[in-house]
Amino acid sequence: MRFMLLTIPHGYESAAPGTIPDDVDAVAAMMAYNESMQKAGVLISCDGLHPPSMGARVSFPGRKPKVVDGPFAEAKEVLGGYWIIDVPSRADAIEWAKRCPGSENEVIEIRQIQEIADFPPDVQALTSEFASMQAVKKT
Amino acid sequence: MRFMVLVKANKDSEAGVMPSTEVLTAMGKFNEELVKAGVLLAGEGLHPSSRGARVRCEGLKRTVIDGPFAETKELLAGFWLLQVKSKEEAIEWIKRSPFQEGEIEIRQVFEASDFGDSMTPELLAQEERLRAESEARAKAGR
Repeated sequence: MRFMLLTIPHGYESAAPGTIPDDVDAVAAMMAYNESMQKAGVLISCDGLHPPSMGARVSFPGRKPKVVDGPFAEAKEVLGGYWIIDVPSRADAIEWAKRCPGSENEVIEIRQIQEIADFPPDVQALTSEFASMQAVKKT
Repeated sequence: MRFMVLVKANKDSEAGVMPSTEVLTAMGKFNEELVKAGVLLAGEGLHPSSRGARVRCEGLKRTVIDGPFAETKELLAGFWLLQVKSKEEAIEWIKRSPFQEGEIEIRQVFEASDFGDSMTPELLAQEERLRAESEARAKAGR
């Protein structure tokens, strides 16, 4: 089963543009955690995101796209980064999240990724090409 | 530049209502365009938060809270990871997406070079090795 572990750092919703993790010890602890996932053979991918103040939101009022630049005043919970892991169960995913060297302001949300097999058969037929659409380009 | 495009949850996605064939067809067509343009790195949909959990970190203490979570419109329902030249290009792609409602958030992904001095040469080497191994695993896993 694939799970997405979402980090939700409280306060990141109002972080200034260009804010970057600059605590060497914290970065080293996080890299050691990533490596432990790697060694256990569960890590598929992980990334960190620049603050929302550097991002944008697109909404579709009246079906027309409307762009709002960050920061987003009403946001209480924003994403700081994620891991995608492949583990046998939800309980395993939670165990991995508990081992994260998270700081006091952080919450990690564990969410199962929808696999093609989770969809009804008529929908599966439409998604037969989906796997080939994923991960087609590498940086 | 890599951008993560966050698709927010709504009442239907949180209730586990699957999208209609019409919606999936439109989304499949959009994904096809992203692939043909060479900008799509990854994309996934997430099960409702009722099947998920949260781990709260307080010092060394870890508290597990089972879903669902209340702030529906701030929850994630799915994402794309795009490789584009600018934030504007990412925004242009999402303006073309077949969504009829809701809000899509565009966030730039940190690259190792963004970290400056905190990313020591040792940490950078580790990061590169992890990434290469994970990519090999992701390919083999499908």
